[in-house]
Amino acid sequence: MARFKLYTAIFVVLMGLSTTQAVVERTGMVDFDAPGTYWTAFGVILVLSFVKATFVATYYMHLRWEPRSVTYLFLGGLFVALALTTAAAYSIL
Amino acid sequence: MSHGEAGGHDFPPTSSVKRWFVTTNHKDIGILYTITALFFLVLGGVLAMLMRVQLWSPGASVLSAGAYNQAVSAHGLLMVFWFISPFAFGFANYLVPLQIGADDLAFPRLNAMSYWAYLFSGLLFIASFFQGGTFDGGWTMYAPLNLPTYMPNIGGTTVVLALIMFIAAVTMGSVNFLTTMYRMRAEGLRMRDLPMFSMSILLMVWMMLFAFAALLAALMILAAEHLFGVTYFSAEGGTLLWTHLFWFFGHPEVYIVFFPALGIMAECFQTFTGQRIVGRKWFVLAMVLVALQSFVVWMHHMFLTGINLEIKTLFMITTIGISLPFDLMVFSLIYTMIKGRIRFTTPFLFSLGALILFIVGGITGVFLGAVVLDYEFRGTYWVVAHFHYVMVGGATGLFAGIYYWFPKMTGRMYDEFLGKVHFALYFVGFNLLYFPLFVAWETPRRVFDYAPGLTSWHQVASIGGFVLGASFLVMFYNLFVSLATGEEVGENPWEYSTTAEWVVSSPPPLENFPGKPSYSGGKLSFRDEPELTADGSGDDEPAGSPSTDGGTTTDGGLASEASETSSDPRSDGGVRTEGAATGGTGLVSDPGTATPAAAGTGTAHGGGPHADHASFWPFVVCFAGFLTFLGVSGIQSGGAYLGLTAVGGLLSAVGFVGFASESFYVPEPTVAEQWPFGGVENMKLGMWTFLASDVVLFGGFIGSYLFLRVANGWIHWHHEFVPEAHVTFPGLVNTYLLLASSFAVVLSLVAAHRNSRRGVVASLSVTWLLGVGFLINKGLEWQHLFHVSTDAFPNGWNVGTNVASSTFYLTTGLHGAHVVVGLIMLLYMIPRAWRGAYLDDDSSIEYFGLYWHFVDIVWLFLFPLFYIL
Repeated sequence: MARFKLYTAIFVVLMGLSTTQAVVERTGMVDFDAPGTYWTAFGVILVLSFVKATFVATYYMHLRWEPRSVTYLFLGGLFVALALTTAAAYSIL
Repeated sequence: MSHGEAGGHDFPPTSSVKRWFVTTNHKDIGILYTITALFFLVLGGVLAMLMRVQLWSPGASVLSAGAYNQAVSAHGLLMVFWFISPFAFGFANYLVPLQIGADDLAFPRLNAMSYWAYLFSGLLFIASFFQGGTFDGGWTMYAPLNLPTYMPNIGGTTVVLALIMFIAAVTMGSVNFLTTMYRMRAEGLRMRDLPMFSMSILLMVWMMLFAFAALLAALMILAAEHLFGVTYFSAEGGTLLWTHLFWFFGHPEVYIVFFPALGIMAECFQTFTGQRIVGRKWFVLAMVLVALQSFVVWMHHMFLTGINLEIKTLFMITTIGISLPFDLMVFSLIYTMIKGRIRFTTPFLFSLGALILFIVGGITGVFLGAVVLDYEFRGTYWVVAHFHYVMVGGATGLFAGIYYWFPKMTGRMYDEFLGKVHFALYFVGFNLLYFPLFVAWETPRRVFDYAPGLTSWHQVASIGGFVLGASFLVMFYNLFVSLATGEEVGENPWEYSTTAEWVVSSPPPLENFPGKPSYSGGKLSFRDEPELTADGSGDDEPAGSPSTDGGTTTDGGLASEASETSSDPRSDGGVRTEGAATGGTGLVSDPGTATPAAAGTGTAHGGGPHADHASFWPFVVCFAGFLTFLGVSGIQSGGAYLGLTAVGGLLSAVGFVGFASESFYVPEPTVAEQWPFGGVENMKLGMWTFLASDVVLFGGFIGSYLFLRVANGWIHWHHEFVPEAHVTFPGLVNTYLLLASSFAVVLSLVAAHRNSRRGVVASLSVTWLLGVGFLINKGLEWQHLFHVSTDAFPNGWNVGTNVASSTFYLTTGLHGAHVVVGLIMLLYMIPRAWRGAYLDDDSSIEYFGLYWHFVDIVWLFLFPLFYIL
């Protein structure tokens, strides 16, 4: 029962954060012609995505209850992907 | 394949052709890998000979320009992909389980599937020669030469698909080896104490897991360029994008190729100097450092492109930096020779040769790692010579391996004199071939003509090429004849060998060991399963004296004792080793539906039901994949290609259903070292490892989108390339649907815990419906965007309209394909749940959930990146 309540609470949070991302867009913060506002919205929306992903991985994928090494394995893949993306994008700036 | 037919005592002997189509045993797969890799060595070698004939004099016309381009490209691709790495994989398959004390790999059927996918990918490559010409854009496949505009023949597309199939094989192998090495080591065998060869394979498969995933992303995009007309690599920044993706794979590939050779060299140096590798701990640390650093040096291949100077400088530093740990390894090997007493056997000669060649390759590589020098040398034969000194230097180490382990694999000794003749011809031929290329460095790469003043150097090189080629005739003759008439060897023909494979008979019995291997007493011993289950440790029973780190030598006598305890009179699996007791438990660790109760009739090694060793389905699935890919390569032409696609698709479906439905039992060891993944069963670790690779695949796609958007101007992209109709709402709806489906999956776990069959069925069904809803919503959205009609997009916004539409459809399409795969899995699971399958054991739901939640996570990033920002 404890897990059921936990899963349900996380589901509600995930739906809420997704809605928040859309709300940020609807409020006009994603304004391509106003760089300051746009990049703030950019940061907020991506942070929300990372938070959501962390919730799913931690609780729905049970990383919370696995040995820490499994988390490192997954983060290893993520690090590789981010290293490629970041360095490649930086190389043409 | 039922147990009765091929899983237990009726497992066909090695003399039966059937054996080689159904086997899942790691030693058989190792032999298949090795022989197939040698076949591709010959094929790639013949192409090289053709090139050297063409280059005998400038302007010679043995080959047309197009044929020369095809020969160069196919030679490079075949040697790098289909020869070197699979050759090492052959040794790894055969030896790693033996060295770590495992009966087999964690997922034997996946291992067989990996081999068949490798073989059929190679056959797909060969088929490309008959489709109007094979790929002719160089082994680096640089854009835009790799695009259909410059390569309209179907064969070019087939090679891209062959590489995709090859990477599928590599990924299956990597997941399998990582799971095995982390979860199935003999008691007392710590990770740090792995034998040097196994350590090198561990690092190799780690690099493979990530590096090949990046290449897979690049190749999938390239295939989409050929088949669907997306525009990544022809867009602004597209050619640079290809080089980033390719070299992010390509540089680690150098170490992926060289590491197994390094492991073999270390083993041979220890054995044939009678001296433990000097500074072993630092040697291993240096290998780990190189493995990590290999992922941060890729841009030294791109110094001549438009990347900025700061990053060129940074990558010059990291490149030069990677030579430091390699220096440490080289000095360690040299000092091992100095401290030991060398016996110049054939394996040692090849190991020493590999070291010398690699030193030359390494030093000449420093020139290319320096930005200014690279400006001069890039695109010349200096690179060709350096590259071959490194890569063929690695292959030299692998040839040391084939002589070193030939007695173990066959039970017979090769002819030492012929082995030395092979080495002499090989080493002389190699240096005659490649050293002159340093002198004639001003020859342009990949061009069939050169300045007349360089003729004599090229002629020397061509002579060297033929000497090198001829040396292999000696090798093949030697090994072939020795197979039949060579002197029979016992367990251990080498005086100072130290690793566990040398304490079992040659070739080893089907399940490797006469008991459960253990290093808990500091040396290898074998115990019966009942002892282990009774007291958790059992008494030591010395049966050989190899230490875990090669520090102690065997004398052969104790090894014989170990061998004598085996009840297995044959080594080919015709009759199995019997465990000492019945009972015991095991887990099903290969995808399938077997239960211990349903499996086999005899007793497995160490108790419990028989482990299975045969399945026909891996062959069927991969043959179906071959037909499908061949059909897809020319699907735009219709006709026979459409038929091939349909037949291949249908056979694939049959194959996967057969594979999933087959009863196939694989016991997990009850006592094993499992740090750092203790408590994570094999299937779960395998799934997580696969997902880590999938992160890089999606990372490649998302990173490509971000790169191209940066290259085209982040804001400009939105204003110029994206229609007004591309709005947030459909993405939000799909986010809701996927999140709800993930929630439904965890509810099915809750229902399984509550023993509610209806709850499990209902929640899995809801997951399926939500997934279908996701696809319908996406389909409607795509349909709408395809038919947008505005001033900016009068013909709609389809896959080839511009770079934004291409990245959108392809990335979300890849994600959608993942959803489809998940839905197919659910179609298999729901009827089983209806029959009450997951109430006692919900692990299958959990493994499915890992996949499904991961797909969900990916969407959580696709939604903002493609719909909001």
